[in-house]
Amino acid sequence: MAASSRSQVLSLYKLLMKESSKFPSYNYRTYALRRVRDAFKENKHVEDSKTVEVLLNKARDNLAVLQRQVSIGQMYATQKIVVEEHRGKKTI
Amino acid sequence: RRLLKQASVSVRFALWDRSWLSVMASRVLGRCVRSLSLSSVRLCLGGTAVRAAAAPLPSQRPFSLLSCSRKTRQVYQTEISSSVVQLCRRYGDQPPLTLGNIEDRVLYVLKLYDKVNPEQLTVTSHFIKDLGLDSLDQVEIIMAMEDEFGFEIPDVDAEKLMTPEDIVMYISDKKDVYE
Repeated sequence: MAASSRSQVLSLYKLLMKESSKFPSYNYRTYALRRVRDAFKENKHVEDSKTVEVLLNKARDNLAVLQRQVSIGQMYATQKIVVEEHRGKKTI
Repeated sequence: RRLLKQASVSVRFALWDRSWLSVMASRVLGRCVRSLSLSSVRLCLGGTAVRAAAAPLPSQRPFSLLSCSRKTRQVYQTEISSSVVQLCRRYGDQPPLTLGNIEDRVLYVLKLYDKVNPEQLTVTSHFIKDLGLDSLDQVEIIMAMEDEFGFEIPDVDAEKLMTPEDIVMYISDKKDVYE
């Protein structure tokens, strides 16, 4: 993998993870974090630059989806569920 | 004389209410005393009366006309500064960052990260070579550090931080912590 696409992948990963952790709803948040993590791990060994490009575009589209969904979720935020309370530090 | 009468009235007024009114009154008094100090003996006698009236306002009894006016100015200044202090907002304080403090927090965050084995973890262990993580995990660690210390780490710097020691050095550099 070329050095430029490597840093692109890592920064995209960071953006996706940050955006996912903004979901107010516990269920959506944990799902999004898990899904992003799994998708990146799944394609860890892809070397072909064309495939990488396709996957990067998919990730960018999904980042836009996440941003929209997060802002919608923040409009309809409800109170925290029981699992979230009294759990000290937020784990990633 | 008329001026002095006015001054003594204002001093009496000041004794009733020791807030801003007293400050204004003492200023007027000070100005009167200063303008009168160059004139005749009769006015000087009047001046002592004024001094006696003004004595309860400052804590110590002034010895001369000049010191009287200086006192009033002091009272004025202290009242100003005390009102400024009341306007100041007090923020909660944090324990000061030291190198040891930062190191403890970094290691604590790393221990909470589920892919890191706490027994293998040392200050100098390399994330990828020693702890068996990959670059994605390293990005997540950097994100956790951003959350913990409350500031952003740019991607350019983040990819160079490969050991806990690097992170400690980077954070202490950014937060201006030295030994």
